[in-house]
Amino acid sequence: MTPMAASSTRRFGFAWRHARMVSQALWLAAFLVLFGGLAASLLRGELASVLVALDPLTAAGTLLADCTVPRWTWLGLAVLAITAFLGRVFCGWICPLGTLQQLVSWLAGPTRRKAVEANRYRPWFAAKYVVAAVLLVWAALGANHVGWLDPLPLLHRAFAAAVRPLWIGVPSPGGWVSFALLGAILLASAWMPRCFCRAVCPAGALMGVVARLAPVRIHRAAESCNDCKLCLFACQGADEPLGRHRVAECHVCLNCLDACGQQSLFYGPLPPAAPLASPPLDVGRRQIVTTTVAALAAAPVLRVAGSGLAARAHDVIRPPGALVEEAFLARCVTCGACMAACPTGVLRSDLGRSGVEGLFSPVMDMRRGWCEPSCVRCMEVCPTGALRVVDPRAKQAIGGPAEIRVGTAFLDHGRCLPWAMGTACIVCEEMCPTSPKAVWLETVEHRARDGTTVVLQRPYVDPVLCTGCGLCENRCPTGQQAAIRVSSVGESRDPRNRLLHRQPAAAKGAVSPPS
Amino acid sequence: MRGQPPDPYRAVGRRQLLTRWGPAALAASALAVAGTLLGGREGRHRAPDDRALPSPRDWRVAGEGRGRLVVAGGPDPAANVRRALSAFGGIERFVSRGEKVVLKPNCAWDRTPEQAANTDPQLVAELARLCLAAGAARVVVADSTCHDPYRCFERSGIAPAARAAGARVEHQSAGGVVRLDLGGTVLGPWDVLAAIAEADRVINVPIVKHHGLARVTVGMKNWMGAVTGPRSAMHQRLPQATAELAAALRPTLTVVDATRILVSGGPTGGALSSVRALDQVAVSTDPVAADAWGASLLSQQPDALSHLGIAERLGLGTTDWRSILETA
Repeated sequence: MTPMAASSTRRFGFAWRHARMVSQALWLAAFLVLFGGLAASLLRGELASVLVALDPLTAAGTLLADCTVPRWTWLGLAVLAITAFLGRVFCGWICPLGTLQQLVSWLAGPTRRKAVEANRYRPWFAAKYVVAAVLLVWAALGANHVGWLDPLPLLHRAFAAAVRPLWIGVPSPGGWVSFALLGAILLASAWMPRCFCRAVCPAGALMGVVARLAPVRIHRAAESCNDCKLCLFACQGADEPLGRHRVAECHVCLNCLDACGQQSLFYGPLPPAAPLASPPLDVGRRQIVTTTVAALAAAPVLRVAGSGLAARAHDVIRPPGALVEEAFLARCVTCGACMAACPTGVLRSDLGRSGVEGLFSPVMDMRRGWCEPSCVRCMEVCPTGALRVVDPRAKQAIGGPAEIRVGTAFLDHGRCLPWAMGTACIVCEEMCPTSPKAVWLETVEHRARDGTTVVLQRPYVDPVLCTGCGLCENRCPTGQQAAIRVSSVGESRDPRNRLLHRQPAAAKGAVSPPS
Repeated sequence: MRGQPPDPYRAVGRRQLLTRWGPAALAASALAVAGTLLGGREGRHRAPDDRALPSPRDWRVAGEGRGRLVVAGGPDPAANVRRALSAFGGIERFVSRGEKVVLKPNCAWDRTPEQAANTDPQLVAELARLCLAAGAARVVVADSTCHDPYRCFERSGIAPAARAAGARVEHQSAGGVVRLDLGGTVLGPWDVLAAIAEADRVINVPIVKHHGLARVTVGMKNWMGAVTGPRSAMHQRLPQATAELAAALRPTLTVVDATRILVSGGPTGGALSSVRALDQVAVSTDPVAADAWGASLLSQQPDALSHLGIAERLGLGTTDWRSILETA
């Protein structure tokens, strides 16, 4: 135990940082319980998505990109409002990614964690304001990429795309990138405490700007302070409480209060005489203007050369309930909640199919899973409403065409056993869950190589009935590449991506999904 | 020499030789030994070895003689199966105290009981109760499903009913598999649900449904859900594979659920217009006769169903179900 901790414990009986640690432990536990409950199909989706919605940048990104505050994301705005009064309490007391970084710092040992050198401010910490500016400018243009670096989506995605696949035993190609990003953040915190929070985190930057308004903050009684610098040893935010305290950087961890031997530091309303001032951010007006111009210039390039929205690929199959691609990309913060909720593992974090714009967004990979007929968990869990909740009956095509379709299955006659090899197989038809079946069979007499006649059943797809659920592709027995594959064409969310001249209306009795 | 310091470049004593050169020499010898012992060995990873696998157990009760087929009709599936079983002298005839019993319903689909894609849950639950009352050590309801197993078992009503009756539920995601040699000409080594592989008695509890390739699916095709792995490859020679499954997996009893049957759009169904309520249950010690009876409900003649013919030739039972039919 360090001398500072001992003295503070003696003086107050409890240390501020202990209260903060309890809060952090509870929120980390809440994250793990909610994620675990979601991933094990024990919790309803709405509940599990609340934690992601607490993130102010998630709310800000969606608000700018789609001009809406969907579902629980008002919570993020509430957190931002609280920040305007109390400072970045979210960072110090709630954010589970911050807590995990502190745990790694703790493992790395006190010489790394509690040192003036490790915890002094560096000008390059201002990089996070540039990151936030770029992401918010892009969001305002409709390209919502805040999720790449937004702490709660980033953490949730790493668990959903890389940890849960381990336990359900379904491979998740591409998930390693999210895992590597989380790993890099945690390892960096062994080198410097909360390195990501200090220098990169765009949510922290957004809250930092707002925290400059906070009337409740760390302040110092200059007359009793003896400039001993004990407060600088364990400062999580590297915000230098001794000098001109950088409110924008402060995580309100309150380590400095416990460290102060003179009881000269306070966290509370500023005394009436004290000015509500803090040092300027280390980004000048010119830098912000340059950043904004660069982001504005890059956005159309990303769109046309990033092979996302402008060059849509056949295999970008979105989960059922997805909004039209423009709105979907504007709302999806790539938190991976839908992936964690999916019972079959069909959803994966995209890496390449949908270009830069769709990086980490959920796509369906039918060789890994399929869309379960009665399931709407991905829609229930989506914190930003990028997937809207529909009645499960609307995606089943029982008794006629379905209202919600993710795509259409196509046969590859070159691989299909009855078509290419004169071999019996009806697995796609057998598996097809629509009623009547979208995959139907034509009985033909096939003349085999040896001159004999074989009676075969050859599959066809009825594009009116096919919902794109992918069970046929999942079970096709032709090795790693199926002979029947789902393409996005015919998806119900986008009338431009249609296969049929006119898609017939959904079946009578099919339920209209809520808007 | 006395008084002169030793030449630092020459005077290497025994002690120095040991302490300075010894550790390196030891490490080098250890490497040499390891290299020699492991040199040219076959590596750790290789393709699975499927030689000398055990075969599945035979779950039939010895000394039953000629197969019997007892059909009972009525609105309550539980009462039907009780009545049909009493014609045999009760379940006690087949299940003894302390035995591990598996019920193998068809629970392959994310469907409700009304859609008749899965076995009726009341029938499964009643069988579980009867087995436990007969002293079974435990009853496991097991299936390897086509849709998400948790949803299949919940929405079919089979898991809640089975648990209420005191049985456990196992499927491909809960409970392991055991690799067995299923024999035959097309099957061979295959992964079988561990609950089934390790059971003392297995009761096959299929439902009667239409099927696009086999025309009907009753009991023999229901064994598809006893195995996991690349079972969609079986469809290339489905009649042979179905009959061979039936030859490898010999149930204590086949209890055919015809409470509701699926007359078209099988085996998945969905639309209620494809469902007919027949309110019948058949209990049979002859799996071929049980299937032939089920096929008759879909107006299919046994000679038109090649898997039944192959099964009969393999000596698994008779397709002439009328000759052994009893009503209860």
